Amino acid sequence: MNYEGFCTRDALVNWLDDLAGQVSLVIPVNDSGFLLYRQVVSVADIAWLVGESGPSTEQMYPHRPVLAVKEMFFPSTEPLVKIKKKAQQVLLEETLPDKPQVVFGVTPCDARGVRIMDNIFIEDLPADAYYTRRRENVTMVGLACQEMGESCFCTSLGGALDDPSDMDIMLTEFEEGFLIQVVTEKGRSLLGKQKFYSDTSTLNLDQVTNRATHAAISPLIPIPDIEAMPRLFNHEIWDRLAESCLSCRICSYVCPTCRCFDLRDEMLPSENGYECYQRIRCWDSCSRDAYRRIAGGHTPRATEAERLRNRIFCKFNYSPRQYGLEGTVACTGCGRCIDACPVNIDITEILGCLAEVVNE
Amino acid sequence: MPVLSTKDGYEPKIIAYLCTWCSYTGADTAGIARLKYPANLRAVRVPCSGRVSPEIIMRTFDQGADGVLILACHIGECHYETGNHRTAKRFPILHSLMTFAGLEKERLRLDWVSASEGDRFSKIVNEFIATVKSLGPANWRVTSSDGIVVDRRMGVSGSDRVDRLLARVSQQRSPTSSQQQFVLNSHTANAEKSSAIQSVARQLLESGEVSLVIGYETGPRGRTRPAFINHPEDVDRLVWNQECTHNLATYLHGRLKTDAAAQSNQADEERSKRIAVVVKPCDSRAINVLTVENQIQRDQVHVIGVSCEGILEGSGFKSFADDQNSPYAFQSRCQSCQINKPVVFDTLIGEVSESRKIQVSADLISSQELWDLTPGERAEFWLSQFDRCIRCYACRQACPQCNCPTCLYERDDSLWVGMGTGLNEKRTFHLGRAYHLAGRCIGCDECEHVCPVGLPLSLLNQMLAQEVEKVFSHRAGYSMEASPIVSKLSGEERLP
Amino acid sequence: MNRKVDKNQMIPYLGKITQVNDLAADIKLLGVELSNGGAEAFCDYNPGQFAFLSAFGVGEAPFGIASTVNRGNVLEFAVQRLGSVTTALHELGEGDYVGVRGPMGNSFPMEQFQGKNLVVLGGGIGGAPLRPVIQTILDNRNDYGHFSILWAARHSSLLIFTEEYENWRMAPDTELHLTVDRADKLWGHNIGLITDLLEKVAPSAENAIAITCGPPVMIHFTGKMLSKLGFQPKQCYVTLEARMHCGIGKCGRCNLGNKLICVDGPVFSMAEVGELLESFL
Repeated sequence: MNYEGFCTRDALVNWLDDLAGQVSLVIPVNDSGFLLYRQVVSVADIAWLVGESGPSTEQMYPHRPVLAVKEMFFPSTEPLVKIKKKAQQVLLEETLPDKPQVVFGVTPCDARGVRIMDNIFIEDLPADAYYTRRRENVTMVGLACQEMGESCFCTSLGGALDDPSDMDIMLTEFEEGFLIQVVTEKGRSLLGKQKFYSDTSTLNLDQVTNRATHAAISPLIPIPDIEAMPRLFNHEIWDRLAESCLSCRICSYVCPTCRCFDLRDEMLPSENGYECYQRIRCWDSCSRDAYRRIAGGHTPRATEAERLRNRIFCKFNYSPRQYGLEGTVACTGCGRCIDACPVNIDITEILGCLAEVVNE
Repeated sequence: MPVLSTKDGYEPKIIAYLCTWCSYTGADTAGIARLKYPANLRAVRVPCSGRVSPEIIMRTFDQGADGVLILACHIGECHYETGNHRTAKRFPILHSLMTFAGLEKERLRLDWVSASEGDRFSKIVNEFIATVKSLGPANWRVTSSDGIVVDRRMGVSGSDRVDRLLARVSQQRSPTSSQQQFVLNSHTANAEKSSAIQSVARQLLESGEVSLVIGYETGPRGRTRPAFINHPEDVDRLVWNQECTHNLATYLHGRLKTDAAAQSNQADEERSKRIAVVVKPCDSRAINVLTVENQIQRDQVHVIGVSCEGILEGSGFKSFADDQNSPYAFQSRCQSCQINKPVVFDTLIGEVSESRKIQVSADLISSQELWDLTPGERAEFWLSQFDRCIRCYACRQACPQCNCPTCLYERDDSLWVGMGTGLNEKRTFHLGRAYHLAGRCIGCDECEHVCPVGLPLSLLNQMLAQEVEKVFSHRAGYSMEASPIVSKLSGEERLP
Repeated sequence: MNRKVDKNQMIPYLGKITQVNDLAADIKLLGVELSNGGAEAFCDYNPGQFAFLSAFGVGEAPFGIASTVNRGNVLEFAVQRLGSVTTALHELGEGDYVGVRGPMGNSFPMEQFQGKNLVVLGGGIGGAPLRPVIQTILDNRNDYGHFSILWAARHSSLLIFTEEYENWRMAPDTELHLTVDRADKLWGHNIGLITDLLEKVAPSAENAIAITCGPPVMIHFTGKMLSKLGFQPKQCYVTLEARMHCGIGKCGRCNLGNKLICVDGPVFSMAEVGELLESFL
């Protein structure tokens, strides 16, 4: 690990507090008992997050918000173009996002999710203008996890609790404060604004207890091989796995890599005699029953089993084959879907069942 | 119609829904008699006041109205006989709902006129406009999604009372000492019930009486979850414990072969002729509602009713097996539950008593506490809650009574509410859904339990259940009686 | 495939409606003229590609481009009134503006079809994306072998491009067969499903290519009949739809297995998607 420097807890809090005064700073915040990414409004929010008694003491482990950081780049509702109509005249106004933001406290699994979405929204041409713009405007400062949650399985997918690879800056906690790594130029330019840290020459790095690397790692979950998956398509196991599915959308919405969206024009108040509309996109999910309904009413994937199968295949076979994903799959092992599913449909259980079938 | 401007600058925007046969004509009469009413009023002519649905009224406020007036024919004078009965019945419920959510009660008014009552028309209208004007702009519509919530988190406009209530929203779910009066079942007691359920299931499946038993099982992580048993040899998966939170009646509608289903898109082969379902006393009420609304046929369901001593807070999402000595809390619905015997069953499991003492913890937020706030404070409370909503629709999907083929709030044409996550839309969705459930909701609170961001939906449903009982003496699901709000138009029903 | 990198692909071009013709009951043919950037984007499109039409204020839907680029700069779209977007499009007239995004998707490999015998099967509104295929073949008649067109609809009032049938029939070495499920008294042709007609016509699979477009159930059963007649999967082409939303491979809705209908299709050979079609139906 190549550390740029280290800082004390207080110095970090001060730096973030200062930053919040200059730019929109978003961090995981305790909102009515739920950890959610919110814009910082007081230093107390920052102190709670990075304090000694922070999220983990309130069972908000590690510090993984209910929704993934994807909402900074792919928000739940995004205005695309404003439409104004008067008689036969039509005017279009592109509404691109342009707010610079910093998001602090990103977990490595979330950052990996962003990288996966980059493959879909930017690398796969044509690039999506809105996602690309947000990606330019937002700087990600990561915070390593100090423990693996009960439902976490990032290590099964090649992740690590202190993996800096997809961040702009990465912080890892140790006894004296936080170790700092600069990963990108964007991160460097954010840090460069104020020197709140010291270099590591005074530390004996071999003896530093990096909490992330000392955390207990959960047993590995079998991840199906892309080539093996087609055999599983017609298996009857999907009926059993999906029986209790309510076809809500929680799993897709909390997932760091799910990105299906719906598109519609909606009415705005009129302006100067023009009828105004906003074309928006918002989150959608392949697990809902009318997702693939076409004109005339025909609905492919009419059963929960077909939809669950599609979702698993999309993550572990279709997306990697369609977009490359740099050799990985469209799952970061964050465990949110496991925690949030109201009927305990568990992706690790599913993967375990699939592995058994493959090995038969 | 041009709005009159005055020195103080604010002129209320009032929308009046006028029934063609009475009030619209009444307006004419007022005009003919040269009676004045201000031009703030924009009249929308409808064929009958019964046409003015709650969705229309909510949408009107969403679009910026400061006041909404509905004028209907006197009862007994409706041109369509019972159209105004609908109005009379739905209005008090909608009015309670919207005022509970923070609308000042004077802004929404229903009154009765006939075609010849030009004077009365003019008087009501002038009164209404004056009242709404004195209240100032409605501010019901939130124009940006983080307006109020950001303000209150910055401590700008928050009130202490609301602050304390907001803190209690999450505290309600935490264990407290006031839970002592609830007792955890012993392992033996649970095992006995589990065994009894397994026996019944085995017998039903072996005899072919049912092709599917829906019950509860323990998942690999120790969490209790729904189980679908098709074969007698699998019945050992079925369990009973105090984490059996799910309302399994929600699965019936989609899985039974019914006439309605035969006409729907879903393959008939996948549906069953007869299903057995394990229900708690609260869930059993849903069976009655589904039956009386023709969503299921009673003889197609074998109801395995289980007596219940309360369900633990957090059930379904964590395992209590490892937490034997940790503090626990019971769900809020259990604390106010009056029955431990299912209201309908084919097989009964467990010992029952006809009634139980209600033991509500002081931590629970009650409707009355919300009513004690000012309308502005209530609006702030609810908006700060709906702010967290992500429109995952888990609340709707978990509910047995939400079974419309296409949800009104998900229409392709965004007719009643947009599909996005703006605050207005989220509030309208939840209020609208609560209204649709009024008189039908059986208070299982699963909508609240499944919510990934803990919206306190039970507060809405509870309040409406209280209103419906007060106005109509009706409680959903205790008997085979449908909700009087929409189902009865005989003219013989009791009108509010 | 025209895929511009720097332009925001979610913003439509403005297209002016220059003609509206009734094609059949509830089906209209809209002619749309683009200017500036739009005209440039659509200066070169191929049979099989599609575009999104926006009814501003309502939404968008994808439509196969039913015209060929050599016939002028008016894009033609056959629109059947079924939902909110198509109803709104039906209410527009000459001089009104629609939004156009595209051209998107791949196209029929017409060069590979040269020298072969062709069988085109169009069912209902599915005939619209096949019309430019027919026009291309007839425009370059000598490049292709024997040509059979099987054209169907649920009812005689729903057949589209009826005014062009004479031209098609009159072309050299070309046969046109019509069939409807139900007909009025004036109908003088076949009554029955297109699969029955196909069995009756029994085109030879030798050196032949079959192209099908229509409702999913028609594609399914026609595929089976073609197979029965000896057509190999690589000889059968289909063009598919799946309620596409973005059209550029982002929203994930139109997946057929690991393929996306909007960017890997909408034109596919059965060799590519045969098995995957099971999940589509």
